[in-house]
Amino acid sequence: MASATPQQQQKDAKAADQSQQPPAAAAEQQKSAAALEEDDEFEDFPVEDWEAEDTEAANGGDTQHLWEESWDDDDTSDDFSAQLREELKKVEASKKR
Amino acid sequence: MDALFSDFSDAQKSCDGFKLSRTISPALPFDKLRNVWKSCNAQDVKNVVKRGIHNTYISKAQALPKDETAGWIEVYSAYWKAVGALVKVRDSLSPNNKSPWANVYETWKEVVSLLHRGYLAHGFEAWTVPCLYVAGKYLREFAVKADEERNNSSSMDSSAEANFQDDFNPEAEQHEKLEDCARQLNRLFNLCLSDRAPLDNSRKWGIYHVANLLFKTYFKLNSAPLSNNILKSLSAGRGDMPPLSKFPKSQQVTYKYYEGVLRFLEEDYVQAEKHLTEAWSMCHKDAMKNKEMILTYLVPCHLLTTHTLPTKKLLEPYPRLQKLFLPLSRHIKGGELHAFDLALQEGEDEFVKRRIYLTLERGRDIALRNLLRKVFLAGGFEEAKTEGASKVRRTRVPIAEFTAAISLGSHQTLDGDEVECFLANMIYKNLMKGYIARERGVVVLSKSGAFPGTGV
Repeated sequence: MASATPQQQQKDAKAADQSQQPPAAAAEQQKSAAALEEDDEFEDFPVEDWEAEDTEAANGGDTQHLWEESWDDDDTSDDFSAQLREELKKVEASKKR
Repeated sequence: MDALFSDFSDAQKSCDGFKLSRTISPALPFDKLRNVWKSCNAQDVKNVVKRGIHNTYISKAQALPKDETAGWIEVYSAYWKAVGALVKVRDSLSPNNKSPWANVYETWKEVVSLLHRGYLAHGFEAWTVPCLYVAGKYLREFAVKADEERNNSSSMDSSAEANFQDDFNPEAEQHEKLEDCARQLNRLFNLCLSDRAPLDNSRKWGIYHVANLLFKTYFKLNSAPLSNNILKSLSAGRGDMPPLSKFPKSQQVTYKYYEGVLRFLEEDYVQAEKHLTEAWSMCHKDAMKNKEMILTYLVPCHLLTTHTLPTKKLLEPYPRLQKLFLPLSRHIKGGELHAFDLALQEGEDEFVKRRIYLTLERGRDIALRNLLRKVFLAGGFEEAKTEGASKVRRTRVPIAEFTAAISLGSHQTLDGDEVECFLANMIYKNLMKGYIARERGVVVLSKSGAFPGTGV
């Protein structure tokens, strides 16, 4: 019980601290908490409308070069052939057994 | 409150809906909120508002019709009350008030109701619809806060009690206010939809904004499919609806985003890609978070519709998307089935949360296609039959080679039947062209495009 008293005091001090926080800081805290929750939502745009030149399309976002083919031919090295031959031998060997 | 009324009067004179909507915004600095709250009391608020509005009319000619004025007096009186509720949220002097946000929600709902009535009974004009945006936006925010507040307090003191109730429905309970908010927003939606006035003076111009608020709400409620009702009523009424392209870009992009995601959830990836691409192209270049949201669904779409992957350059500004998609992309490219499975497992929570897990899972087909393609390429070329003829790839590939490759890629030993099953699937999905000659144990691949769209 004796040890609880200083802790309690600390808590009280903390609470007092918080109540003395300027409203702006408190608002900011609220804001950041809200930002975390809203993380997965489509946000409101800060402006209602904008010019065509401010769109993604006008700023390099519209070109096909942002997407690439899903295979990689640089990777088709002799390495794979060698690995494949190795594995093939294993498969053959296990069949014979 | 005087500043408020002079803004009200200016907005009325210039028919500036957005300016007017700012006069009922609850997002004011705290001291301003308090000033509004302190400027009158519950007994005289209506008189104060009435006088405030009338004082701004310099001559009779400028005045709004009596009926309309009466409607706005009601709205601002309710607004004053809601401001009071907001002030109390911050007010540490009222410890008895256990659910200040629920109170804010209820008082704000009254503002929304009175606005609604204003259009139906007091002749509010269509240019004032931005007021509905502000009303709806904050109704939703306050509902979320009220639900959080209740969930926090009930989890502390009454959760044990609640567990004993048979008909306890935690999901519905959890979103009580937000469910209610969805109903209110729906009323606003119908208020805009049902306006029969000529287009240049119609509340129909408010419809996409309200629709977007509803989408957002339904998604949060985990009832995304309800949004289809909205899509449907917009497409049914499209004849006398202004085209979407006439609306501000913020509304177009948001609407296209949700339409795309809804199609995505229905696995209509072609439509989804179309809408999301439109949203992407029109999105403001600096709206990073929203661009990230669009790409979250556009990347899986591209994977399934055109079998393409995002370049490093595309994902460069979005560390979160890199984390989500780069490992999977790399393994798809390399045909590394086992590594692909691991990466999918690794990101499972994140993928499920974003509702893209099932779509990405189908990317395994592309990884498998790439693996089989590597076998084909490794097979090299047939010996030329005649001198100088163009080289032809070996198109008869023993199933054993595919078996070996798949075992290699998936770190599992598979038997021939299983592999044949995979191959048949690939052929069925048109990822590979050819047929299986079972009795000879080979796959005969097409000489012109064995793996359609990949250049071989």
